[in-house]
Amino acid sequence: MSQIPIPEDRHFRPRLFGYDPQKSRPWLERAVYSAYVFVFWLLVITTYAGVPALFGALGWDSGWGFVFMRALQVVLLFLLSAVLALLLILVLRKYLGKVQERFGPMHYGPAGGIQTIFDALKLLAKEDFVPAAADVLTFRLAPAVTFVASFAMFAVIPFASGWVLADTNVGLVYLIAVSTLSTYGVLLGGVSSGNKWALIGALRAGAQMVSYEIPLALVFLTVAVWSGTLSLSGIVDAQLGLWNFLPLALPFVLYVIASLAELKHIPFDFPEAESELIAGYNVEYSGMSFAFFFLAEFVELFLLPALIVVFFFGGWHGPLFGLEPGSLAAGALESLYFTLKTAVWVWIFLWIRATLPRYRDDQLMEFAWKAMIPLALFGLVLAAYMRLIWR
Amino acid sequence: MSTMNLEPVPGRTDEMIVNMGPQHPATHGVLRVVLGLEGERITRAVPHIGYLHRNHEKIEEARTYPMVIPYTDRMDYVSGTQNELPFVLAIEDMLGVEVPDRARKIRTMFFELFRLASHLVWMGTAMLDLGAISPFLYTFWDREIILGIVEKTAGARMLPNYYTFGGVRRDVHPDFFKEVADLLDHLERRMVDYEHLVLESPVVHARTIGVGVLSKERAIARGVSGPVLRASGVAYDVRKAFPYDAYPDVEFEIPTSPDGDTYARFWVRFQEMYQSIRILRQLLELTPKTGPFKGKAPARIKPPAGERYRAVENSRGELGVFVISDGTDKPYRVKHRGAAFSNLQIIPDLFIGAKFSDAIAILSSLDPVFGEIDR
Amino acid sequence: MELRLKQERLFDEDIYTVHPEDYRALCEKLKADGFDFPRAVSGIDTGYGLRVTLHLTRLHDRAKVTVRTDVRYENPVVASVTDLWPGVEWYEREAYDMLGVRFSGHPDLRRILLEDEWELHPLLKRYDTGGYPIPGWEPKAWPDPDPWTPPPPPEPEAGEAGEGGEAS
Repeated sequence: MSQIPIPEDRHFRPRLFGYDPQKSRPWLERAVYSAYVFVFWLLVITTYAGVPALFGALGWDSGWGFVFMRALQVVLLFLLSAVLALLLILVLRKYLGKVQERFGPMHYGPAGGIQTIFDALKLLAKEDFVPAAADVLTFRLAPAVTFVASFAMFAVIPFASGWVLADTNVGLVYLIAVSTLSTYGVLLGGVSSGNKWALIGALRAGAQMVSYEIPLALVFLTVAVWSGTLSLSGIVDAQLGLWNFLPLALPFVLYVIASLAELKHIPFDFPEAESELIAGYNVEYSGMSFAFFFLAEFVELFLLPALIVVFFFGGWHGPLFGLEPGSLAAGALESLYFTLKTAVWVWIFLWIRATLPRYRDDQLMEFAWKAMIPLALFGLVLAAYMRLIWR
Repeated sequence: MSTMNLEPVPGRTDEMIVNMGPQHPATHGVLRVVLGLEGERITRAVPHIGYLHRNHEKIEEARTYPMVIPYTDRMDYVSGTQNELPFVLAIEDMLGVEVPDRARKIRTMFFELFRLASHLVWMGTAMLDLGAISPFLYTFWDREIILGIVEKTAGARMLPNYYTFGGVRRDVHPDFFKEVADLLDHLERRMVDYEHLVLESPVVHARTIGVGVLSKERAIARGVSGPVLRASGVAYDVRKAFPYDAYPDVEFEIPTSPDGDTYARFWVRFQEMYQSIRILRQLLELTPKTGPFKGKAPARIKPPAGERYRAVENSRGELGVFVISDGTDKPYRVKHRGAAFSNLQIIPDLFIGAKFSDAIAILSSLDPVFGEIDR
Repeated sequence: MELRLKQERLFDEDIYTVHPEDYRALCEKLKADGFDFPRAVSGIDTGYGLRVTLHLTRLHDRAKVTVRTDVRYENPVVASVTDLWPGVEWYEREAYDMLGVRFSGHPDLRRILLEDEWELHPLLKRYDTGGYPIPGWEPKAWPDPDPWTPPPPPEPEAGEAGEGGEAS
């Protein structure tokens, strides 16, 4: 957009001790984001390298010690996802502000940097309201189901070579199973709210899942066929020479579209379309129940771009500058590559969110069944054929 | 307003009755529509209005003629001075006041500035209803410039109370003509971006083309006017049909579209903005920089007993006023004909059979403003 | 049948004042004459009764016409023209809401701006702006001759009543 003249004299600009909060400070914003990413990176290193090293040094890496180690890692991952949500919400608001010729949060912390922490505190302090018409048990359970299902996807995400909680050889199958579960939370939450808007939102979420899950699974299958493994680490390793987005261009595009739908992200945010269904499935939620839906949404906003990176952009691969593979320094560098690649994809998703209007829900269904599934099948056959010839 | 709800049809279990509004984010204020939904498809729609009712017409009967003008401002609050004009024109007709040429041109400039402002608000809110957040902020920045220009001259931004019997209340600010010229340059650049964001967006195409088709005959019979009528292929524009103020002096076209769908209504509003820019460019040339801004109106306004209906083409269509005078200094009866009031009547016609998401798009293309509908 | 009406010309529009029983017949005649665009219906409290004013336009030649009819307070019934021009539906509801004019044959004559349970018709002159009855307000006498009586023709060949419809 062309720059518009902002009339300087028209705005009331409160100043506190000479500090003008409404002044744009790009370097400060970047410093704040870097600080969050640094904390995130430290947590990743602690989780995947620090804790195993500690338990290994103490000799607790077998039997119950191993169980405790995994439990500690999960707790750290929960912390990590909280940091992630705080960062992503801040980045979303700041970035939307940039796109929309305004500033975004400016007042709390340097360049608005701790605004989201205050928001989270506000949600903690709010009453967790249960409507009279709601089915209490299901209503309470739904945010937990959504969050746990999203959070469980962390288990198979490889941040660096060997840096993964469960390097299982059925990683893709696990992902399909778990990512579908989060829709159950949305469905249960919407249906149990006793609100018609929430009900419509839940039904839309169900209908939407039926449309995008099949092409998504077909793309998973294509990647598995191309890489010859179901393990996510195996898929990343198979991309050492050539990142998958070049040979698998068609599945890659389909995967991005399907991830947008899975994220319930503009242009496919039908279950919570705020101009149509007010807030859709979570209209009756408040306080921490709402916060868990929100947390799940932003965890997914990290995880689905992360999966794009794992499947198509070589995961943690990048120049290691002579570091010995498998060492702590190499792992740290690899996890940084992984984080930064994911950040680029998060930015692309936010960019889409800032730009596009919303489709109608039946248009996604039509598109998914009439275009995406045939194309995904075609991509699958093509990948199998290419693999037969070249590998 | 009505507390009425739709009664469920006996024996029919697949229809859900949903109360959309008056606190729904896409109803542009306080519209309430009771919908029967069969899945996503609308089976019944009953609109209820009146949640913003203040009974202007009764209040205006108790006010003197000059005191009525600020009340009219409060009707269509996004298009400011446009609301004052029909009342002012009607009283001028009854009084036989002569309006100086320069005053007529200044009035027309403000009229078109507010058409731009109103269509910018429409564009932002319509895109917000379709799910895009950013155009809303862009258009409000541009509207801000227009309101700034209005404020410099009239002293108020949204509700300027600027027109008066025989002309305008005070002369324009010395910067006015230059600022309007700058604004037009700026808007012409921005319109390119807006076309990319709105008219050329494939998502907007998918949401609007073929949605909510209003036939020409139905549109006329329903008394629909303004961009909604012209999008159905009727070239009826009060500015051309019953010219007022400086419109006979300027050249402009009436954009019409034969399609009658939501996209056509979007398209017509865009073309109207181009025509407004064109009219303003001509008026910048034509308007004398100095001169009288007000004709000789009597100090105490007492129109002779009689009645007069005058209409103008405001941003939403034919905005009329029917004034009855009994020879005193207060109007005996003032009846406002709201364009959005008439346009909103077609809600059941367009909603029934549409998808729920389509209903939101259709409603945004009608561009209702509830200050005027509920009066 | 001869319509009981009075025709005047004011500014650029024809004004017909018609007996309420002939209101519907005149509207049908105007509709047949091509007046296709309904502008508004206004209800007016004239002090001796209620008046309904219908503003119409013919789009292709921009002729304007106003039809008005007077009814007494005791029996404010006017035929609805919603089936001729669906666009007057809400305006007739508004006139009913504000003044209590009953439109016979209206498909859905409910209050539109006020609540269903509202008791007054606020635009009646017997109430002040607060909605309280004005003490000492008395309706005026019904005009004699009736409002729709044509003025006595100065010359025998002047303005034949019921000739209206075309804009001059």
